[in-house]
Amino acid sequence: MSDQAMRDAWFPVGLLSGLTRAGTASMLMGEDITVGLDDTGAPSVDCGGRKLPTVERFGHLWTSLGAPEKDLFTIPEADHPERTLVDVGVVRVKCSPLRAVENFLDIAHFPFVHTDILGEEDHPEVNNYKVEVRKDEDEVWATKVEFYQPQAAASAGGGIITEYMYRVPAPTCSVLYKTCPPRPGEWDVICLFVQPLTEELCDVWPWMALFDDTSTITDLIHFQQLIFLQDRSILENQIPKKLPLDPALETPTRADLTSVAYRRWLKRHDYTYGAQLVAE
Amino acid sequence: MQADERTQWVPAAVSTDILDGTVVPAALPTGPIAVWRTASGELHANGDRCPHRGMRLSHGFVRGNSLSCIYHGWRYGRDGGCEHIPAHPGLEPPKSINCGPLPVAEANGVVWVAAQAPEEAPAEIEGFEALKSMLFCATPAAIAEAAGGALKTELGGTPAHLVTAERTPSETFVVALVPTGTDVASKLAAATALEALRRVTESAT
Repeated sequence: MSDQAMRDAWFPVGLLSGLTRAGTASMLMGEDITVGLDDTGAPSVDCGGRKLPTVERFGHLWTSLGAPEKDLFTIPEADHPERTLVDVGVVRVKCSPLRAVENFLDIAHFPFVHTDILGEEDHPEVNNYKVEVRKDEDEVWATKVEFYQPQAAASAGGGIITEYMYRVPAPTCSVLYKTCPPRPGEWDVICLFVQPLTEELCDVWPWMALFDDTSTITDLIHFQQLIFLQDRSILENQIPKKLPLDPALETPTRADLTSVAYRRWLKRHDYTYGAQLVAE
Repeated sequence: MQADERTQWVPAAVSTDILDGTVVPAALPTGPIAVWRTASGELHANGDRCPHRGMRLSHGFVRGNSLSCIYHGWRYGRDGGCEHIPAHPGLEPPKSINCGPLPVAEANGVVWVAAQAPEEAPAEIEGFEALKSMLFCATPAAIAEAAGGALKTELGGTPAHLVTAERTPSETFVVALVPTGTDVASKLAAATALEALRRVTESAT
């Protein structure tokens, strides 16, 4: 199995606000890298003496071990000047980078993992929603996803039916658009950018572009970190650690249509770093 | 694992460590398992993996006669069959969704589990009961050697049996048994001696 398709993809490797001339030792797909600023003060990623390509976007520095054919995706909605952009930071998780993304695409776990925040046990039902692979962009999209949430966001006053849209524009990235409590008609943008350190270890960089005039940045970061630490308790305890792409190994239901589409899309593109193709 | 090994009882936990309505992780040579009691105290064991998304069921919760996965709340009954999928409350789960129930028995205050049903109940060591369990980073042979050449030994002046199960080539699950009715001070001394035995065993290997 070749890792070339994933090597040619873009990955987040650090916050732009945290880059230093001294550089920080990190890892990408098993290779040691140093992330920092070069002599001219420009962001730079070094891999064993080789300078890797870089992109500065969404508050993060992005790089690739190979030669990406496509530019890094964009999120036009996030450009609105009144949005609060939140660099949440990094959470290291002992799991496959692909499992981290799949968990982000899942709403059915809210009542049990994010109890009384993103879901509650009395409202666990997942209604039908729409999933497609958009041909032109070659992205997985889930739309018309609705769920009852007791506290959908730091800015939410009480329980509401939240509408979600999910987008997978890169193998280890997902963008979530969700109902924005203070601004009906607009979407909050919450992203999960995952840096694959190895097939079973990743650094997760959540990033948000919100309309929220009341919460402090600290409140927003705390809310997102609370949610993600709850997710980590799941992600580090799934067996096998790698994401199974063999449909026989796990049992999806209708609520998992996004995950099914994501797994198929990964397989079709040979995005298999962090995946298990056959049962071991 | 050979067929005859699959039908052997393996010590998995101390009975009193699994309270009614709770679940704990344990292991067989075939892999991780979840051991749990219904609210009324009935003991059950199954694979430690929810068939849905692979989450460890030992992180789940017990209500009534069922074990639920903490990830999406999928609920499993005493026969291991999936009873309920909360995301689709109107759906009757297909019979094929099963978390793999395992034969389980209790003797001497030890929970015994097997990969396949053994013909006989676990062998009883008359007059002894479980004191506590520990994981040793050593083989059963190394533990026996450190205990004076046999698993029938003495801990802090009290006669003891060590029941062992090799979980991996470097990890052995150990339950120490002491005579039924041993007083608290002697039990504490035996527990301290068991910890000392682990230090000696692990530093020798």
